[in-house]
Amino acid sequence: MNRRSVPLAYALVLPSILVMLAVVAYPFLYNFRIAFSNMSLRHFRNPEFIGLANFVELFSSSALYVVLLKTVIWTGVNVLAHVSLGVGLAVVLNRPIRGQWLYRALLIIPWAIPQYISALTWRGMFNYEYGAVNLWLMKFGLPQVAWLSNAHAAFAAAIITNIWLGFPFMMVIALGGLQSIPHELYEVASIDGANWWNRLRHVTLPLLKPVLVPAVVLGTIWTFNNLNVIWLVTDGGKPADKSHILVTYVYKAAFTLYRYGYAAAFSLVIFLILLVFVVFYMRLSRGTESVY
Amino acid sequence: MKQKWTRILPVLAAVLPLLAGCGGGSGKAQGPTEITIWEQRDPQEKGVMEKVLADYEAQHPDVKVSLVHYDTENLRTQYQTAALANGGPDLVYGPSDQVGPFSVLEIIRPMDEFLPGEDWSRFLPAALDTLDGHVWSLPDQVGNHLNLLYNTEVVAKPPETFDEWVEIARKAMTTGADGRTERYGLAFEFNEPFWLVPFLTAYGGWVMDDANRPTLDTPAMVKALTFVNDLREKYRVVPRECNYQLMDTMFKTGKAAMIINGPWSFGDYKKAGVPFALARIPRATPGGPWAAPMIGTKGYSVNVNLDKSKEGAIRDLLHYLTSEKVTARFATELAILPSVRAAYDLPGIKNDALLQASLEQWKVGRRMPVVPEMRAIWDAMRPQMQSVMNGSKSPEDAARDMQKDALDKIADMNR
Repeated sequence: MNRRSVPLAYALVLPSILVMLAVVAYPFLYNFRIAFSNMSLRHFRNPEFIGLANFVELFSSSALYVVLLKTVIWTGVNVLAHVSLGVGLAVVLNRPIRGQWLYRALLIIPWAIPQYISALTWRGMFNYEYGAVNLWLMKFGLPQVAWLSNAHAAFAAAIITNIWLGFPFMMVIALGGLQSIPHELYEVASIDGANWWNRLRHVTLPLLKPVLVPAVVLGTIWTFNNLNVIWLVTDGGKPADKSHILVTYVYKAAFTLYRYGYAAAFSLVIFLILLVFVVFYMRLSRGTESVY
Repeated sequence: MKQKWTRILPVLAAVLPLLAGCGGGSGKAQGPTEITIWEQRDPQEKGVMEKVLADYEAQHPDVKVSLVHYDTENLRTQYQTAALANGGPDLVYGPSDQVGPFSVLEIIRPMDEFLPGEDWSRFLPAALDTLDGHVWSLPDQVGNHLNLLYNTEVVAKPPETFDEWVEIARKAMTTGADGRTERYGLAFEFNEPFWLVPFLTAYGGWVMDDANRPTLDTPAMVKALTFVNDLREKYRVVPRECNYQLMDTMFKTGKAAMIINGPWSFGDYKKAGVPFALARIPRATPGGPWAAPMIGTKGYSVNVNLDKSKEGAIRDLLHYLTSEKVTARFATELAILPSVRAAYDLPGIKNDALLQASLEQWKVGRRMPVVPEMRAIWDAMRPQMQSVMNGSKSPEDAARDMQKDALDKIADMNR
């Protein structure tokens, strides 16, 4: 790049920067401001500065910790399932089998359908009496589960839906990463006597790391913040507000009870949790190092 | 020279799209007055609304009205956000309980100030809810109340008491060849507190007292929760899990002999050709009080951010939309009760069996409180009711916790 094309570069990026400032930076700063105020039903137009009161209330109630635990479980189970299923399927689909393109296309469909529609369809399928899931269980002689009216089952239903929705993303990423692993390495490994498990552990996974680490970080953040699936499958935390994760809980506080100040403070705390996680994870996995 | 252009062209290509967005509003000539209404009407209602507006636009070529549809909860949240940002529609149409929060948030104007010369006596008294001494919404329909709908091919005579209800429901049930129930006696949304209220009132209870304090921990509440749960566990006349969509589909496909639903759905069932009639939700015991569903109104409220130049056009439109002709049209096409007295004298209304039955239920209904505390009460009732229905709480514990939750949430909301 020579000196004359640098202003050009800035000019080309300028529209994106402006959009990001308006859509990301400004709301973030506004949220910051509301978090330290008492904006709520009675103080809507002219909220006052109240310092750390929202944060104090947040950390001293048990709601934060219970819901945080649920969110951690939700995120952990989902990301683990996504990565295992995604990498597993990618390894299988990387071999020259007949109809490979068909399988790859079919397996992308869950991700391609809009989340809203999938979540609502799954919600219908989890109905006790008429839902497809219970009808299948009945065919195999298994007991029917009250998916959506039992607290634990509702959480499981949301997890199942999200796993179905999310694994194609990991699969696509892993497939891309696998294609960049030279075949010679596998041949050399087989010659040295490695079986499929050793090849997976010592050749595939380490070389997938630079591709998987950002994918896992993205997946974790998206899953942690995934309002849609939980909200739509459990219809807003039903039964009895027991299937909330942090973000759905905050949504309810803000828009059902008008507690904007409290919800903004809560959002900031969620942001900090995720920030800490990302920084630690990147350091621990040394993910941004190059492989060779 | 050529080199200069190859550098400028990409920059222009990057920047022009930004400018295109800016230039839109400035050059418009004084065109027709545009009025925007945000609403939450069900599809059949919305269809009639569009026809009504088309007639209005034909008579007033200088006015153009556009509708934006949201479902009820989204309407509330979207309107609040838009109005706070000094934007939003000119009119917002919805159920009367949204005026509570809207008026406290100061995002709607008092209707009695907006329409100073209005003849309020032309409305049914129950159609006008006042809060803090003002009327906040101009109603075009009253009701929004739950009724008992029954399939006339399956149920000959509707029940009058809870015992009769269970009997008739039992008799209406059929089993399929695989041993599973094919038709249920009754289906209703038993996860929403709105549907619990008729049972609560049949046992003599209510949600709040005159000082707007919740009264949820009462023997009436315990009896109501017990009966609703019994319908499923003891008498087995309702499906194990039931929500609004399921109840709706079951009634349309003949899989439920009776349901509990409101006027917003009648047009849809008429269109689907379901042979149904309306009846009052039964009383708990012969001679006891009739079940009193909550009655409310639906009406138009004016945005505080309204452009002053449009006020005249809006007043005219509001008078048109709440005239006896227009409200009667909704009534005859959709069995929705008009808010305007004069409409009831029109022959189309007097002779409509569905409307008269709906009116009978409405007469024993009880007005839904529009104070903001109502929202906290709904929110407190809902999870506890769901806990009873999934067997994890007893009705006594649920009633006690409902009361405690409601008080906590009201305190939180009023901080």
